[in-house]
Amino acid sequence: MAPDRSSRDEIPPGTLDLLILKTLSRDHRLHGFEIAEAIQRISADVLRVEEGSLYPALQRMLLKGWLKGEWGKTLENRRARYYTLTRAGQKQLEHEMERYARVSTAIARIIQPA
Amino acid sequence: MTAGELARRLLFLIRRRQHLDELDEEMRLHAELCNRAASRKFGNTTLLKEKSREMWGWNWLDDLAKDLRYSLRLLRGNPMFTGIIVLTLALGIGANTAIFSVMNAVVLRSLPVKNPQQVVYIHATGQPHHTWNTGIWGWSMSTGVYEQLRAEHPGLSDVMAYVPMAFGKAAVLYGRDPEEASADMVSGNFFTGLGVQPVCGRMLTDSDETNHTAVAVLSYAYWSRRFGQTCSVIGHPLYIKGVPFTVVGVAANGFEGVESDGSTDLWVPLQNRPGLNAWGSESDKSFYANPQWWCIMMIGRLRPGISRTAAAARLTPIFQRAAYAPLGGKPQKGEKMPTLAFDGTKGIPGAKEVYEKPLRVLLAMVGLILLIACSNVVMMLNARNAARRHEFSVRIAIGGSKWRLLRQLMAESLLIVAAATALGYFFAFAATRAISRWSALDQDFSPDRTVLLFTLAIMSAIALLFGVAPLRNALKTPVNLALKTTAATAYSDRGRMHARKVVIALQMCICLTLLVAAGLLLRTLQNLQNVDTGMNTQGLLVFGISPQQETRSGAETIRFYESLTNRLRSLPGVLAVTLMGNRLGSGGTNNTSVYVDGEHPRGGSGMVRWNTVGPDYLATLGIKLEYGRDLRESDSANAAKVALINDTFTKQYFKGQSPLGRSIGISSKIQFTVVGVAADSKYAGVTEEAMPMAYFPYKQRKGIGTMQVEVRTAGNPTSFLQVIQREVRQLAPNLPLLQPMTQQAQFDESYAMQRLVAWLAIFFGLLAAFLVATGLYATLAYSVTRRTAEIGIRMALGAQRGEVVWMVLKESIDLCVAGAVVGVPLALAASRVLRSILFGVKPSDPLTICLGLVALVAVALVATLIPARRAASIDPIRALRYE
Repeated sequence: MAPDRSSRDEIPPGTLDLLILKTLSRDHRLHGFEIAEAIQRISADVLRVEEGSLYPALQRMLLKGWLKGEWGKTLENRRARYYTLTRAGQKQLEHEMERYARVSTAIARIIQPA
Repeated sequence: MTAGELARRLLFLIRRRQHLDELDEEMRLHAELCNRAASRKFGNTTLLKEKSREMWGWNWLDDLAKDLRYSLRLLRGNPMFTGIIVLTLALGIGANTAIFSVMNAVVLRSLPVKNPQQVVYIHATGQPHHTWNTGIWGWSMSTGVYEQLRAEHPGLSDVMAYVPMAFGKAAVLYGRDPEEASADMVSGNFFTGLGVQPVCGRMLTDSDETNHTAVAVLSYAYWSRRFGQTCSVIGHPLYIKGVPFTVVGVAANGFEGVESDGSTDLWVPLQNRPGLNAWGSESDKSFYANPQWWCIMMIGRLRPGISRTAAAARLTPIFQRAAYAPLGGKPQKGEKMPTLAFDGTKGIPGAKEVYEKPLRVLLAMVGLILLIACSNVVMMLNARNAARRHEFSVRIAIGGSKWRLLRQLMAESLLIVAAATALGYFFAFAATRAISRWSALDQDFSPDRTVLLFTLAIMSAIALLFGVAPLRNALKTPVNLALKTTAATAYSDRGRMHARKVVIALQMCICLTLLVAAGLLLRTLQNLQNVDTGMNTQGLLVFGISPQQETRSGAETIRFYESLTNRLRSLPGVLAVTLMGNRLGSGGTNNTSVYVDGEHPRGGSGMVRWNTVGPDYLATLGIKLEYGRDLRESDSANAAKVALINDTFTKQYFKGQSPLGRSIGISSKIQFTVVGVAADSKYAGVTEEAMPMAYFPYKQRKGIGTMQVEVRTAGNPTSFLQVIQREVRQLAPNLPLLQPMTQQAQFDESYAMQRLVAWLAIFFGLLAAFLVATGLYATLAYSVTRRTAEIGIRMALGAQRGEVVWMVLKESIDLCVAGAVVGVPLALAASRVLRSILFGVKPSDPLTICLGLVALVAVALVATLIPARRAASIDPIRALRYE
């Protein structure tokens, strides 16, 4: 592990999709680097998405039809693929939120002092 | 997986290049932004791309493509090896495909009509006494039966009739030149009942039948061959036996009629004029006016859900009523009424019965050949993979997975099998065409969809076998071998060598069986070729002539033949000319109860075979006249009625007394005086037994029509065809020569099946020998290489070259002996199956088996020669330096 990563936490397994979907539902239209940045920024630098998980996840979500990728220009006039949420993605987000809420409540119950 | 997902996945596959480029670009941007941010580092781009791409689930395809590409490179790198195994397999697959294709066409294929499983041939177990028949016994019906069944057919949805317009082919004229074509008269519902559509124009209708319209429908093949596939032929006149017909349609591609003896060229509605009589008969009464003449063949379509036997049982009473209606309504005392029987339309009727068994034998032969070919290829692949063990162990040592290795070997097998199948299928196409030509069956044997499926099934089976074969190579490769391998240890695998020897011995035993079978069939063919026909066929030409009856009376016909024979006799190079009713060697004969001195003779079969012949018959054909005289031009209609008989007739019915001056007949009314006795000669075909035979002068018989003209020429008979054609044209401009050929060729055709089977069996025997030789050669060569060091040591210790040669030779002889010990009983058992196809040779013929053994030893010796010489030329010093 590189030393600069030690202070950050791994993204809990199974939540990457939720984070990407949520980020896109908030910011509407982002490219890959921006998604990673957004997750890092909003989580106050606690969560960090590795590109090694980000891009396979994006590809998988494209395949599932949750995201749509369109090529556009960045402010610096560079070509980039911008991702937006599809209707199916919106539904999936709701579904994931529900699941997350259910699981985290359950976990909270277990670790709460009796 | 949802439909949308599948669609996206496929879209990815189609536009993968673009997708991968996009992914690349995306990564580049990300990496750049990372560098700029400095806080972030970008990981392994290649791995990342790989993982992103994996999400689309097409990796296996990429891997397969990679494996195939690698295998292809490998196989191309060793073209000799690849060529030999692909060719070996292709020969095996091709032979199987070709024979199965013929089997399919002759035995299995259904008529190309709508719902062919419903279509049945309507046969009877016989026909009433006091009726007569033309065609095949039990297949012909009377007009009364036809009309009754046409009107009343419970169990069948349609009843169709077909009647040939001639034995063989009928004279046809389109444009200027007369030609011959096979033509059938059919019922109006023939095409609608079978469900055959027109490609051009229209098919026949019921009103065509009722009005006996002069219209004709062409077969697709005839239309393509003769009329260049132009629909403009419709509306044009076409003369059949001098009667003008109008072409109204062309039948669908593939439909070649329902006749047993080949494809039909054209169909017309049933005709009622005597000139266009059933079977080209010369009777002056149409078959419509002849209720006791059974000459119509029928085919029907079963109603859905009813079985053949049930339908036949329901139709039988109607059939029997109609059959006996013209005979006073009931059978004679003690006469058993015939019943109906329905036969399916699978295969070629007639040919199916004759060819099915030989085809099964051939199919077994090619199956064994495929076995030899496959085992050879497996051995070669294994030997090569053994030589590649070094490579394999290195691959595994540096972290390649065994699964990956196996996958690559399987890809290689798949490529080989696919290439061999494609080549084999191509071989089969060529082979079936050749077989069709040799078989004298005018049929298309080309592979169809069923055959393709069969071939693909073989291919899958072989691919599976070859997939499993490298399993051992892949899984048993020890990692540390890479470090230890030397030339000697890499090949030291005693178990594998032993397995190879067992396989070779088994191959030898199969090869012997095939060689013996081929030998027996070759002897059969020789015997058939050497059969004494009782005549001299050298220089003998035969062709048919069918004078058009509409314009001729009986006397005119005789005058026509008189002037024809006279004209031909006057041609330079023509030595003699005569005529006959049934062509020798064509299978057609007349057989009737005989009268001797006005009575049925006691003893013998009571039957006589007869033919109507022209003057100088015996002299022209070169049949020996035992005593008495030959027939003469003067034996005319008004002269005293005379006949010739053969030796067997004399023996059976005259008990050795002189038959000259005695009277014989084939009816109680007309008696012929015997004027000469001829030696026995062949009539139906070369395999027939001698039978009592009588020859009657054609001028003294009524109803003379189509005759066969025999011309004895000095030189090559076929070179006279043009002159003869010109001569006939001058006499009768519209008459084609029917089926002209040499008499020898006609006799040869009578054993076309045996000839075809023998040729194929010989070819397969040689093929098996060749494959076994290559297998043996490869094994011995391999063994010599393996033992190079050992041989070197032996020679260094004083072994002579002769001993080394003997060492290799002994290996091959041991295999040969092992093969023969198992092979001889196997060959004896297998050749029993051939019994019904053999002629003049017993299945257990010792000479043939000896020759088979000699051939096997010869094959083994030839295969041993090169490895033995190589072993003998090993230089001990160099061999030992290998270590």
